[in-house]
Amino acid sequence: MKAVEKIEQHYLIKQLPKATALVSNDGTLMDVSDSWKELFGKKINPKSPINVRSIFSDVENLDIKLLGGQTKSIRHQLKRETEILWLESHFTPWFDDKENLMGTIIQTDNISREIEAELQLERVNTMLRSKSEVSKVGCWEFDIKSEELFWCDETKKIHQVPSSFVPNVNEAINFYKQGYSRNKISMLFHKILNDGKPFCQKLQIITHRGEERWVQSAGKAIIENGEIVRLFGTFQDINEEMESEAKIKGNEQLLTTLIDNLPLNVFVKDLDSKKILVNKAECEYLGKTPEELLGKSDFDLYDKEVAKISRDEDLEVIRTLKPILGKETISIKKDGQITNFLTSKIPLFDIDGKINGLIGISMDITPIKKKEEQLQHLINITSVQNKKLINFAHIVSHNLRSHSANFSMLLQFLNSEENEAERNKILNMLEQASDNLLETLSNLNEVVDINTNINLKKAPIQLNHAITKAQQNLAALLDKNKVIIENQVDKGISVLSIPAYLDSILLNLMTNAVKYRSPDRQPKITITAKRMEGKIMLDFTDNGLGIDLERYGDKIFGMYKTFHNNKDAKGFGLYLIRNQIEAMGGQILVDSKVDHGTTFKVYFNDESK
Amino acid sequence: MEQPSKYISMMKVNSIFIVDDDPITVFGIKRMLKPVTSCEDVEIFQNGKEAFDALVTKMEQGDNLPNVIFLDINMPIMDGWDFLEEMLQLPIEERIVINILTSSIDPMDHQKWNEFKSKCSHVLNFKNKPIFKIETSDLNCLNMAS
Repeated sequence: MKAVEKIEQHYLIKQLPKATALVSNDGTLMDVSDSWKELFGKKINPKSPINVRSIFSDVENLDIKLLGGQTKSIRHQLKRETEILWLESHFTPWFDDKENLMGTIIQTDNISREIEAELQLERVNTMLRSKSEVSKVGCWEFDIKSEELFWCDETKKIHQVPSSFVPNVNEAINFYKQGYSRNKISMLFHKILNDGKPFCQKLQIITHRGEERWVQSAGKAIIENGEIVRLFGTFQDINEEMESEAKIKGNEQLLTTLIDNLPLNVFVKDLDSKKILVNKAECEYLGKTPEELLGKSDFDLYDKEVAKISRDEDLEVIRTLKPILGKETISIKKDGQITNFLTSKIPLFDIDGKINGLIGISMDITPIKKKEEQLQHLINITSVQNKKLINFAHIVSHNLRSHSANFSMLLQFLNSEENEAERNKILNMLEQASDNLLETLSNLNEVVDINTNINLKKAPIQLNHAITKAQQNLAALLDKNKVIIENQVDKGISVLSIPAYLDSILLNLMTNAVKYRSPDRQPKITITAKRMEGKIMLDFTDNGLGIDLERYGDKIFGMYKTFHNNKDAKGFGLYLIRNQIEAMGGQILVDSKVDHGTTFKVYFNDESK
Repeated sequence: MEQPSKYISMMKVNSIFIVDDDPITVFGIKRMLKPVTSCEDVEIFQNGKEAFDALVTKMEQGDNLPNVIFLDINMPIMDGWDFLEEMLQLPIEERIVINILTSSIDPMDHQKWNEFKSKCSHVLNFKNKPIFKIETSDLNCLNMAS
């Protein structure tokens, strides 16, 4: 009977789906289910009993569990050949039908998969936490029904609240900076609650410790069965990015303001000399918008010659990598406007130190150049004046000296002469010398007057009329020599002149022509005038003796220079009128051919100027 | 006083040119020549051109050239310097004493004199007016050319 019972019992246990083992009080394995055998990989042989302790060798206080008489559970590991299993064993006291304690029933579950899943979850959580810590992206969740707001640790960290802090919606919104940020988040939160409209916004918060920082707050509604049940969002600290962005923007702003407001033309060109940056001054100079200038080369903007010179300079800078500094350049725009620039071209390198263009800086020095030219003009005038003065000083000294020398000589003769007739002769000579001196002095005075009274009032004078007047004054001389005068001057031409000087000029030119007439021809004077670049040019042509200009060219207007055997010639008239003409800002030139005649060209300032 | 005059009398001053457009200076030179030379052949010219033409004519006709020339600088038509320039082109073998007389104190004139002196085979003297006396040495090229 007993055996039969045992067999039945044995068979029942054998079939149990859960790995089950019956253990006697001394720990000997009495019976096990097939599932147990499979799990532990052991067989039961009555001839060599197995003590359960050998199987649970790594479980502490196993005896307490075995003998405690109470139900207990433990988790433990089982090393198999290729893997380690996680097991959960339940220890239950084993009674016979008489309630005698027979041993322990141990039932074991393979919980490896659950443990794996648990570990996996923990890993994912850890990863999530570190990720959010590293990227400073926190998250939040809001349950509509319970109105509970959840912040993750990172979100709390960004708010600088302790991890024990439990937020609510009002508090959360009040963390945003008063004004724009708080208004905006309130509006966005309201919208997402009502319409489920997601948001993502850069805003400022004031942290728990009172620090201001930029965050990017985003939210999304979770909808179940057409109803918003939860809001989920992220919360990111973007303070550093915003600050560096602000710094970059600030720097950019500074640079733009600086470049744009420099009183210099600034441009950047690429390797093809195409403009890739222009400042305000450059745009204004070229009369174009930046958009119209970008991508353009000098050939599109300037005269071809100028553009070619500029391109050659660019290529030089690109080739040598050496800047051109402060070079005086002339720029001619397509419309012909000419500007003087002081230009520098500096090679522009990329981050790797390779040249990728050049920076150009041009300063408009046209006004300075003009001043320089005016100054040069003044210097020229001054040096001419100076030369004239020195010349005049020599003339004065020479003429006065020659007379005084004559006086000294004659007086010395007079002292030692006793013969009365000879004395009278010397006295005659002295008288002549005195007359000569007086004439010279009066001539010199006339010249000094011209050069000191440069402010005499000029008036517009009709040239044709002035010539007729001079003709009338010289009527006797002209008639006597049968001079033909052809006055072809247009009656519309007037010159700006000091009246007395114009009279003197015309009289001297006419008498000059008569004095140096040719004995072989009837004297003829042709007078014409024309307007030229704000000047009036008077042409005074005679058919007289002419003069060898190659020989006397520079002397003809000199004082006391005469070139013909002529008793009337004193060499003063042309010297005088040249002084008069130059004192009025004009000029006198001469053209002549021996035995053909002479043409004097007198330039006056135009009356209308 | 006896010796120099003897010396001069040994020096034959055949003829003298005075080239000056100022009649007072010409009068003065003629008067000052009287005590130092008995030369009667004194020719007067108003300017360099006249004097130069006379020189050319004399050479062509084989006449004696002047031994001494008194030369003004500032003259019409051809001034003293131009006269010198032209005269140096002539094939003159005799040494002539040329006394440049001027009231000019222009340093340029002094400089020109130096230039001419160095390229000229004649005796070239430079005298500033006024002059009160003509020395025998002004007529004598041997004295100067030692």
